[in-house]
Amino acid sequence: MWSYALKRTGTTAVTLIAASVVVFAFIHVIPGDPIYVLLGDTATPDQIESLRHELGLDQSIIVQYLQWVAHALSGDLGRSIFFQAPVLSVIADGAETSALLATMTMVWVILIGIPIGVIAAVRHGSWLDQCLSGAAMLMASVPTFWVGLYLILIFAATLGWLPSSGYPSIFDGGPGNLRYLILPSLTLAAPNAALILRLTRASMLDVSREDYVRAARAKGIRPWQVVRRHILRNALLTVVSAFGFTFAALLSEAVVTETVFALPGIGRLVVQSILRRDYPVIQGIILVIVVIYLVINLIVDLTYRVLDPRVELQ
Amino acid sequence: MTSGLGWLTRAAAAVIAASLLTGQVGAAGTLREATIGEPPPLDVMLTTADVASTIGRHIFETLYAWDSTYMPQPLLADRDRVEDGGKTIIINLREGVLFHNDKELTAKDVAASMVRWGKFGARGKLLMAAATSVEATGKYEVTLKLSAPNGAWKNLIADVNGGLAIYPEDIAEKAGNKPIEQKDYIGTGPYKFVEWRPNRYVEVEKFGKYKPRTEKSDGYAGARIANFDKIRFVPVPDVGTRVSGVQAGDYDYAEMISGDLYDNLNKDKSVQVHRTNAPIFGLFFMNSKEGILKDNYKLRRAIQTALDKSQALRVAFGPKDLWNADGAIFPKGTPWYTTAGVDGYSPHDAAKAKELAKEAGYTGTPIRLLVSTNYQAHYDEASVFTRQLADAGINVQMMVVDWATLLKMRGQAEQWDIFVTHHSFAPDPVLLTFINASYPGWWDSAEIGALRAELVNSSDQAARKAVWDKIQALVYEQVPVMKVGDAYTYDVASPKLTGLNPNGPVFWNVSTK
Repeated sequence: MWSYALKRTGTTAVTLIAASVVVFAFIHVIPGDPIYVLLGDTATPDQIESLRHELGLDQSIIVQYLQWVAHALSGDLGRSIFFQAPVLSVIADGAETSALLATMTMVWVILIGIPIGVIAAVRHGSWLDQCLSGAAMLMASVPTFWVGLYLILIFAATLGWLPSSGYPSIFDGGPGNLRYLILPSLTLAAPNAALILRLTRASMLDVSREDYVRAARAKGIRPWQVVRRHILRNALLTVVSAFGFTFAALLSEAVVTETVFALPGIGRLVVQSILRRDYPVIQGIILVIVVIYLVINLIVDLTYRVLDPRVELQ
Repeated sequence: MTSGLGWLTRAAAAVIAASLLTGQVGAAGTLREATIGEPPPLDVMLTTADVASTIGRHIFETLYAWDSTYMPQPLLADRDRVEDGGKTIIINLREGVLFHNDKELTAKDVAASMVRWGKFGARGKLLMAAATSVEATGKYEVTLKLSAPNGAWKNLIADVNGGLAIYPEDIAEKAGNKPIEQKDYIGTGPYKFVEWRPNRYVEVEKFGKYKPRTEKSDGYAGARIANFDKIRFVPVPDVGTRVSGVQAGDYDYAEMISGDLYDNLNKDKSVQVHRTNAPIFGLFFMNSKEGILKDNYKLRRAIQTALDKSQALRVAFGPKDLWNADGAIFPKGTPWYTTAGVDGYSPHDAAKAKELAKEAGYTGTPIRLLVSTNYQAHYDEASVFTRQLADAGINVQMMVVDWATLLKMRGQAEQWDIFVTHHSFAPDPVLLTFINASYPGWWDSAEIGALRAELVNSSDQAARKAVWDKIQALVYEQVPVMKVGDAYTYDVASPKLTGLNPNGPVFWNVSTK
């Protein structure tokens, strides 16, 4: 297993370099200029050129890239043009929100998706299954901004149970601040829980047709034990691989939810940075997201082995 | 697996319970304002971004400040006198004013700030291009010498937006053209900078040693009293969330609310609607440097003749309370209001437009209209006008880009024929961007050149008003820009807030009931 992990880390590095080149090239190809955004409407060409020189943006793209790589290798991702702060600290601040939001969302996804998926599979074809599958379709189809705005309207503006938006760090106000993430995580969980529900149901139905399940039933094992020990455990292999992907995707897909709930997360930060052409922040975030994707995929592959000893890692 | 699920259930329940039990919204003495987005660096001298000015006004101050009728009144200045036919301006400062670093404001700080503003300030050139010297001629006396008089000088140094904010001498001198760093956000305002958490908030706190003016508060002028211990400016990009946040009590104030919510919010008891007293206005700039519209004034008039501005304003801003289809560049009630030339504002006459276009030699060449979707109103106005122009046989090709791209492209004359932006209320014609020959659009005909010099160099208000009348008439003859109409933005606030400022979101003198 360790040699496998080592080999995977090597390919990860190559992927990282390729990603950094692509990202760097793309963001410099799109038109627009951070200096204009920084100085506003009335800046003169002289002022623009002089600040561009000051920030090193008048050098060739290749020189800028090599400088960025050299600094990145020593752990310095540069300074944000817009925030005038180190990129790493800007990302770290956003990462706290994103990581907690994604974790809380995954908790909802697991709590809602798997049990209901199991019930739908066990009661396959019944009216209950039809209702649950229909509800899942609905949850997967409704746009997240709509769900988000309605949750704010009901639970924040009308009932006043939960805060409407924002997220003060738990390091500033303690774990109580997690309440700021309840509505956003439910919003984000809705479509993803629906997908996990459908996946669990489908996967369980596949497994339940296997011979060993029939054998277990023939042995007279109680039906719920068959479901738990023989069907669910095997069906979860597919579901777990989807977890990894979903978790990684949540970090970058949360843009709409983060915007609606005014959360200081990575998704909103990257979109705002693109609109502002804050090159160092865009590069830094993409780099971090690529690393997260690669690490999570690695973890998922290794988890297969734990869940199913028959899987061989090569 | 069951035990795993059980653990998750218990963990989730614990989180929710802990959250609900320990929840506490907002701290006493802190005002929370939901802004439309993250500000650029708060070096207000360099940038004209409104978000930066809104926050910066609490930290930095100017020598003069506009009252509620947009007349400049002394703020850091105590008195002034003008000599040498308007070419020498001597300003005496108030004594005992402290910066947030506890050092006293002196003439040296003002002189250093003025020098930096002249070199790098967004609006600095308007006054300082003609400066021959700036000197501290006493501990509290600054003397500015100009090569020609400037009738608008007081207005040009009466706001922080790209304006002459006063920084300590050492900070102004070392900053140069780069935005000043956060640790150097030191001004003389009633609030001092505390911290900026990217994407979370900018926080300022009451400056205990602030010495307010003795005059009654009026607009941005007069006494400034900090009633809140702290103010947090929180970026909340979604307008629906800003409104819900005020309704839920998570924010005390939210700015720039969309027109479609206006009628409902007016009836909503959980908020108070606060409409600003100074309208913004949409502007369609014509390219006077290159392309089909360069000096073809007749074709420009043909374009304006085809348009119905009311229709565009209705689509872009909604309820009639929020807009006014008026061709006068300065609204009624201001000292600069004139009806000169406004007959050409919004004729909506397709037949006449066709005729004019034909006379102008127009053969159907596409006219490139550069517009951004970042400002919905710009896009709405451009879409309505494109349709109306098609009816008059004028072929417009919309180039839709994001704002950062538009800012860059509009500086390249070969890229566009018309571009769309908007203008904040200006208390003096010299602050209008299209009067400035170096602003994209580059209106610099012989006629405007002569009138511009007259406007700037005269210090007699009646004479300046007469010149402005001629300039507005020329705007409708040469059409360097087309004014869409006046639009009044509005904000919402908690019903508990009193003392809101008619000029815009500033929170000194604001308190809770």
